[in-house]
Amino acid sequence: MKLAVVGKGGSGKTTTAAVVARTLARHGTSVVALDCDSNPNLGISLGVGDDETERLIAMRQALDEGEQEHAPGWDDLLDRFGTDAPDGVRLAVVTAIQNPEPGCP
Amino acid sequence: MSNEVTAVRVALVGKGGSGKSAIAGILARALAQQGARVLAVDSDPMPGLSLSLGLGLVDAPIPDDAVEEKAEGEPGPRFRLRTGLSALDAVDRYAVDAPDGVRFLQFGKLRGHSASLMRSQLAFRQILDDLPPQSWSVVGDLPGGTRQPFYGWARYADTVLVVTEPTAKGLLSGRRLARLALGDARPGRLAAIVNKVTDPGDAEWVRARTGLDVLAAVPLDEAVGDAERHGAAVMDEAPDSQAVAVVTSLAHRLTEDRVGAGIGS
Repeated sequence: MKLAVVGKGGSGKTTTAAVVARTLARHGTSVVALDCDSNPNLGISLGVGDDETERLIAMRQALDEGEQEHAPGWDDLLDRFGTDAPDGVRLAVVTAIQNPEPGCP
Repeated sequence: MSNEVTAVRVALVGKGGSGKSAIAGILARALAQQGARVLAVDSDPMPGLSLSLGLGLVDAPIPDDAVEEKAEGEPGPRFRLRTGLSALDAVDRYAVDAPDGVRFLQFGKLRGHSASLMRSQLAFRQILDDLPPQSWSVVGDLPGGTRQPFYGWARYADTVLVVTEPTAKGLLSGRRLARLALGDARPGRLAAIVNKVTDPGDAEWVRARTGLDVLAAVPLDEAVGDAERHGAAVMDEAPDSQAVAVVTSLAHRLTEDRVGAGIGS
């Protein structure tokens, strides 16, 4: 199954997503957790810590900046850009924090 | 006379749910109570500031007919206020009265189609750019998170305040916002407000982890939660609460700093 969690800021999207992901994983499901928030904090709620969360984001950013080679398929993407979170959840960051630039508002 | 030198222009950014709107609502009304002429502006596509000001859920958008496409060869963005309509006129006509004499203006919420949003967005920016900086204080509530608040949204502000909760996610977001704010309009001052403080070490923790000066540490206050639950202003429901006291003191200091720096005189 594929679940997406949406809601107002501060309503608990990230916390909910992390608990659901780890609970499913504990019940034996293979779980991929994707952080699609432009302010990606899912790593913290899953329990991989600040540094690993920032490392994933930096890798994602490097891809945009052409410093990192893209992966050819979804499984390679998860291998290369993901990290192992507790309970066997595989976490990857999908969005990049974009630097502000002038343009169409 | 006093208003001439004490106008402050503040934009609040922060992680979703950090308390930007609640603090902006108190700050705008505190500045107005201190004698400033205040325009409170909401550029968050989610509703919030009108509730925190004590207005309930109101719309105070800039209507389509206030905006026109620029003439051929005219410099500037594609849309502007229609000829003859100044920024002050637009505030007179389209801003809504909020308690304590605050005027409230809103960027169109996520209802209209995109063309209409772009028109009102450009007009909104023009109003903030053209409003006489010596006579009007501005308190702006920006979109939550790290993606939307910049792209020029905060360029009217001389002070950008990053509202930060003392949590791991809050600090990470605060750090990112601090970095992004410096890459954007480079405000005169960038600082943090720590919100929902429960520990005496929280302010220092935020200062150390974000690198920002902490201008205020707002305690976790049940009165704020209750007002939010009711969709009312903390200023009305609990004027004697700690949160109101801390933000009111911040309003005083922001004004004094302006006077001290001689800005706007």
